[in-house]
Amino acid sequence: MKGDTYTIFYATTLGVVCSLLLAGVSAVCMPYINANREARKGRSILDALGMPVDDKLSARDVLAAFDEHKVAKAEFGGMEIYIYESSGGPLTAVPFQGQGLWGPIKGFIALEPDRTTIRGVTFYEQQETPGLGGEIGTPDFRQRFRGRKIQAGDTSPGIRIIRGGGATGVNEVDAITGATMTCEKVELMINNAIRTILKEGMENGS
Amino acid sequence: MAANPAAVMSCGACGPSCRQTLNEGVWTNNPVAVQMLGVCSALAVTSRLENSIVMGMALIFVAAMSNLFVSLLRNATPRRIRMIAEVTIIATFVIVFDQLLKAFYPEMSESLGPYVGLIITNCIIMGRAEAFAMQNPPAISVVDGIANGIGYAAVLILIGAAREVLGSGELLGRTVLSPDWYTGNLVMILAPGAFIALGFLIALANHIKPPQTEASK
Amino acid sequence: METSPLLILFAAIFTNNILLASFLGMCSFLACSQQIETAIGLGAAVTFVMTCTSVINYLIYYGILVEGAPLVAADLTFMSFIVFIAVIAAFVQFVEMFIERFSPKLYYALGIFLPLITVNCAILGASLFMVIRSYTLGQSLGFGFGGGIGWALAIVLMAGLRKKMNYSNVPAPFRGVAIIMVVTGVMAMVFMGFVGMVQIQ
Repeated sequence: MKGDTYTIFYATTLGVVCSLLLAGVSAVCMPYINANREARKGRSILDALGMPVDDKLSARDVLAAFDEHKVAKAEFGGMEIYIYESSGGPLTAVPFQGQGLWGPIKGFIALEPDRTTIRGVTFYEQQETPGLGGEIGTPDFRQRFRGRKIQAGDTSPGIRIIRGGGATGVNEVDAITGATMTCEKVELMINNAIRTILKEGMENGS
Repeated sequence: MAANPAAVMSCGACGPSCRQTLNEGVWTNNPVAVQMLGVCSALAVTSRLENSIVMGMALIFVAAMSNLFVSLLRNATPRRIRMIAEVTIIATFVIVFDQLLKAFYPEMSESLGPYVGLIITNCIIMGRAEAFAMQNPPAISVVDGIANGIGYAAVLILIGAAREVLGSGELLGRTVLSPDWYTGNLVMILAPGAFIALGFLIALANHIKPPQTEASK
Repeated sequence: METSPLLILFAAIFTNNILLASFLGMCSFLACSQQIETAIGLGAAVTFVMTCTSVINYLIYYGILVEGAPLVAADLTFMSFIVFIAVIAAFVQFVEMFIERFSPKLYYALGIFLPLITVNCAILGASLFMVIRSYTLGQSLGFGFGGGIGWALAIVLMAGLRKKMNYSNVPAPFRGVAIIMVVTGVMAMVFMGFVGMVQIQ
């Protein structure tokens, strides 16, 4: 009675039932998961622009904060940037991403109205080693970027993350001890974004 | 034959078999300390107490639900694909928990990483499904699942608390050992600390209740 | 400018050993580390299965499950756990049949361990990490292979240590799993010392 046909019937039914259950749960959860992802990005943007939101805020509230502060999305050189009209002028948040050591790294770099001074840097996705490369997410490391410029004078575009301390130039930042490769990759991906900013900026004259 | 289902189901007056199963799962036959099963996910997430608690809840949920359904289907399942069926049912509930976590507690989902998915290969859950749920009626199987889940969760919570306190001086994010005089022991937060903490925990359990030797069995 | 698969391979063996740093594959590790020969055999089998299934799961994940994949457009990633474990189970079954046919001696030596490999957290874990870290095909291959070798290394080392521990005077409460856990912890600390070996950070 428990022959081959029954086995196949059982296996198929079990498979179908489980898939349906999972598809149902996924359908229910997907909107929340997507909202969380958007909110994650949103938090990062607001933080970079200097208007950090409370960690406890729900996804919906984070997205509402965007409307509240009238942060506008714009297209710029193929990137999706975010502009906030502060009292001092427009602040821009530019996304950057790339391959870190252990996985993709994504973040935002926010610029002051002069489009050269860095207002803040945030990382909203990274898989780096906790305690080493993972330190890029800490306020201590991100803080080093504040006030730096995205290029030194007119000649060398991009920032430099200097190993071994002693970062003196306007576009230089101290690396994290023991996280050389992570810092190298971060430098690379931020500079990619900066290159696009500068290129577009010069072409559009803004 | 297992306990009379009717007697077990009237769980207001939890029948003796129910209490015994509960007791066994949590203490006498505690999955991790005694049966030494399923240590994998245990250790990885115990660097912080909060993570351990959520992982414990995940295990209780998956153990209970999978035991329930494996038991409900125990007479219908062909012997040959028994294990595959068990794994499928377990995997389904793990995914359910994972999706709910991603949707409603995303930071925790990040922290736990792949270890929620690895509950599927957790020897305890598989072991109980095969050894207990396949042989027993649904009600008592759920109790067994919950009991083993609680036993496992208890171990996770103990280790999580020890690691967080010794490693960073905090408990649930609140400072317990002030940084003024206590320097966090980094080893406890990293991998070795988990192994060592578990080793000492098992030794403690063995000391309190010496394991049955061949003679006394 | 991605991390070289070779680097990932070395990392998976030494600096980020899949067992000593990522806690994967403990069950079989505890159960089968008594004899060195068994340990070597199991380690080899795990390495083989892990390498192959990492690659197969990569192809399935990016070929079928992700949104906009070449074969199925919908986002089926929520099915990944089930699909991965099914692939692993099927693959182990296939390996078992293969070994039984071509090397009965090995088959008898490995015995019960082959089905154990299916539920070895390390193998499923390798696939899950591959997804989380968005590895490319080359990186997945390096990670699968390195992870297997790293696991094999850990279990063989433990087998050797256990042999020596038979002659040690272990306090009663620690006998059995407890002392093995502590020793594993020390081994993990030792492996942490490899961090400077390869310029990985």
